[in-house]
Amino acid sequence: MKHTSIFFLYVAQYMKTRLTYRVDMLMEIMSDLLFQAVNLIFILVVFGHTNMLSGWSKDEIIFIYGFFLVPFAIFGAFFNIWDFNERYIVKGEMDRILTRPVHSLFQIILERMELESLFGVLTGIAVMIYAGSRLDLSLSWYDPIVFLFMVLGGAFVYAGIFILLASISFWSDSRTSIMPMMYNIGNYGRYPVDIYNKVIRFVLTWILPFAFVGVYPSAYFLGREEWYGYAFLTPVMGAVFFGFAIFMWNIGVTKYRGAGN
Amino acid sequence: MEKVIDVQSLRKDFKSHSSRSGLKGAFRDLFTRNYKVISAVKDISFTVNEGEMVGYIGENGAGKSTSIKMLTGILTPTSGTVRVNGMDPHKEREKFVRSIGVVFGQRSQLWWDIAVQESFRLLKKVYNVPDDVYNEHMNHVIESLDIGPLLDKPVRKLSLGQRMRCELAAALLHNPKLLFLDEPTIGLDVLVKLKIRNFLKEINEKYKTTILLTTHDLTDIEALCDRVVMLDEGQIIYDGELAKLRSNWGEGKQIEFQFGEQVSGEQLQPLLKELEAEWTKGDRDNVWIANVINEEHVISEVIGRVVAANRITDIKIHEISTEEIIRNIYEEGMLNG
Repeated sequence: MKHTSIFFLYVAQYMKTRLTYRVDMLMEIMSDLLFQAVNLIFILVVFGHTNMLSGWSKDEIIFIYGFFLVPFAIFGAFFNIWDFNERYIVKGEMDRILTRPVHSLFQIILERMELESLFGVLTGIAVMIYAGSRLDLSLSWYDPIVFLFMVLGGAFVYAGIFILLASISFWSDSRTSIMPMMYNIGNYGRYPVDIYNKVIRFVLTWILPFAFVGVYPSAYFLGREEWYGYAFLTPVMGAVFFGFAIFMWNIGVTKYRGAGN
Repeated sequence: MEKVIDVQSLRKDFKSHSSRSGLKGAFRDLFTRNYKVISAVKDISFTVNEGEMVGYIGENGAGKSTSIKMLTGILTPTSGTVRVNGMDPHKEREKFVRSIGVVFGQRSQLWWDIAVQESFRLLKKVYNVPDDVYNEHMNHVIESLDIGPLLDKPVRKLSLGQRMRCELAAALLHNPKLLFLDEPTIGLDVLVKLKIRNFLKEINEKYKTTILLTTHDLTDIEALCDRVVMLDEGQIIYDGELAKLRSNWGEGKQIEFQFGEQVSGEQLQPLLKELEAEWTKGDRDNVWIANVINEEHVISEVIGRVVAANRITDIKIHEISTEEIIRNIYEEGMLNG
């Protein structure tokens, strides 16, 4: 209860500051949209040369991309803590966080949120509706609920991976270039995993489970029954990865060395 | 009296990896690393009672920050026990930090882009302070610190002195029993410093707030603290009354002479013959300082002899400042008295 009210107060405050910089906000939304469009064009270009990709049609892949945008938008809005090392460890902002009576990760999420990213949810749903109508997909009454679980699962998988990476900074405060690389690997989850070789597929499923953000949950909505097992694992993977990440974070906080003054 | 801070043989070791020199060394570092254990705080023990104002001093790297961070729950101690407000700071962090207030002079608690009162509102929510308690307490704080007119300005538009007063108000928002101040007056002008000091005295009297003050500005400590804890190389080298420190170490006066012409040390040396006094060179041209013991006849004798032998344009007599006392202590290492 207390956390929710703190959350909404931060959101209100965030909106207030963002609205004073309206142009910035507009630019950010525009650049997000442009980025999403480029990705879509890339898919179209690939399918200009072929009709099928390992048994997946163009519209199916567009649908997967549309789905991916939704958990990714949620991740981008709340868990995008790629600059944690720089901002909180090197500059010592973590000291301030730790003197306040709220869980440290929760505070950082509140401070670093970028609600503009949520716009991606709308784009994602629009893309899914477009691809879904071309594929003649039908919806059952429970599908929106399943969708919610899948999206949250996917967002938590993403969040878990990035929190784990951020936690590394507690042990080693040297700068690494893992974060940008991770964005690239994250994109692999947007394509059907059976187009990759076995090792990559294994990695994307169990080690850096980005496949649970795109292909696997989408397979459920596309009616690809051979992937249902993986699809229903999505919320579980989300919970497990997120839980593990928080666990590691909490250990990391006790190893925090502070920045020298 | 109730112990607010109780520290027993507290220690913090940092393991740091030291790199070998050269390309070959860097290559070897890849496989086996050299670790060096550096003890920032070496088994210190002290207690602070309710309502005390304690000055916590030491040079850079003496272990001040590290020990303060252990007291505030930011760092986990390597060994030893810390009880602050009856709690273990890093184990019950979220509950514990409700009972303390922290001001780090070089780090802002406030949100840069939003108005001061909005920051207060967020902190009020974070600390879960009820409206009536907040209003009664904060109205008083805002009035004493004279920050009423600043409340609707964003923090980035405040001057350093204005910001610092707001920081202090923010740290006191939940009316903590214990206040940690790390360099609260750094870079502030005299008037703001005075205002802050008066305010601290006032809340100390009114709420019996215990204050632990770290600073390089010893005038702060002289104005506020009866007791000082002095650290050097991770150990406490003095813990006791400031007055005692002064009487043991500061027995003496300095007489500063500004000479009308060029003088040398050899010329001046004979003037202090058979007196308990010695010369040091001042920081300006033709300025020499005679350090003498605090006895009337010695002081008059020195002045008499110098004035008789040289042309003088100015004379000043100072007591030895706390700063100098502390410098002397550090130069001589351990404190004996």
